[in-house]
Amino acid sequence: MIKKTKILAISSSGGHWIQLNKICNQLEDQFDVIYATPGAQYESAKEGGRKVYAITDASADSKLNLIPVTLQIISILIRERPNTIITTGAAPGVMAILLCKLLPIKTIWVDSIANVKVLSRSGRMVKNHANIVVTQWQDLSDDKNIFYRGSVL
Amino acid sequence: MIFVAVGTQFPFDRLIENMNEWAANNDEEVIAQIADGEYIPQNIKWERFLDAKQYNQHIKDASVFVSHAGMGNIISARHHNTPIIVMNRQFELGEHRNNHQADGVTWMAKLSGVYAAPTQAELYTLLCDTSALQVVSNNDTDNLDKLTNFLSGYIETGRID
Repeated sequence: MIKKTKILAISSSGGHWIQLNKICNQLEDQFDVIYATPGAQYESAKEGGRKVYAITDASADSKLNLIPVTLQIISILIRERPNTIITTGAAPGVMAILLCKLLPIKTIWVDSIANVKVLSRSGRMVKNHANIVVTQWQDLSDDKNIFYRGSVL
Repeated sequence: MIFVAVGTQFPFDRLIENMNEWAANNDEEVIAQIADGEYIPQNIKWERFLDAKQYNQHIKDASVFVSHAGMGNIISARHHNTPIIVMNRQFELGEHRNNHQADGVTWMAKLSGVYAAPTQAELYTLLCDTSALQVVSNNDTDNLDKLTNFLSGYIETGRID
């Protein structure tokens, strides 16, 4: 059996996580997808036998928490050695992309559909670091650095 | 039953106060998730946080879901075919770190079954006749298929098509 390409899907909770799920549920047929998200939805996230790592919740308002999140991501990367990471944001996704920049891991940023008029603040932070940045709004795409190819809704 | 939820990141006392006042004058059960709000409603059942299972069950059971303008709730409401009324947090009132919810609510309201109520008056008008709030079941996944096909292509080949 051919081993499927491994993807680490990571996001903060709430809307970011729901969007990540919508995308990755479809990718699961084709890839070996593992997940990382803050503990809140951990039990339900595991439904269907998926592999989900709990990470600390960090945001722009809780910068100190970026330290444990960063260590947790490093530990997941060492254990799982994914080929690609995909994130819908926010802070944990930024950290994952910055870390993977140093490693031979492909990075995909999908900006939240909630950001209609401008790319999210975290999206702007990773714009020059992620291998590809995807917006869910045609108007925000320049088709050079930021791409639009559909959306979760 | 009307389910009210403000999300997990911030409180949204304005919405909870509005719904508490509405519940005082209307004969309808209201259940609210209020996060770390300072305001404690007297006329509605409330919890600060709910686990995901219970949260989704409430969305499913509710005749109407009244929510902050969070993307996750809109996606979940559509998933359960429950009409959703969204009130956006306002940066000017210190309710969010920026005004993206105000931008978002404009296009959200174009989705079937999603109604925008930026103010108390608009909220009460919509709640006057909840039977008029309808969701046209939406199984159209064209946009999502397009996105995931693109992403899987990129993961496989590294090419941007």
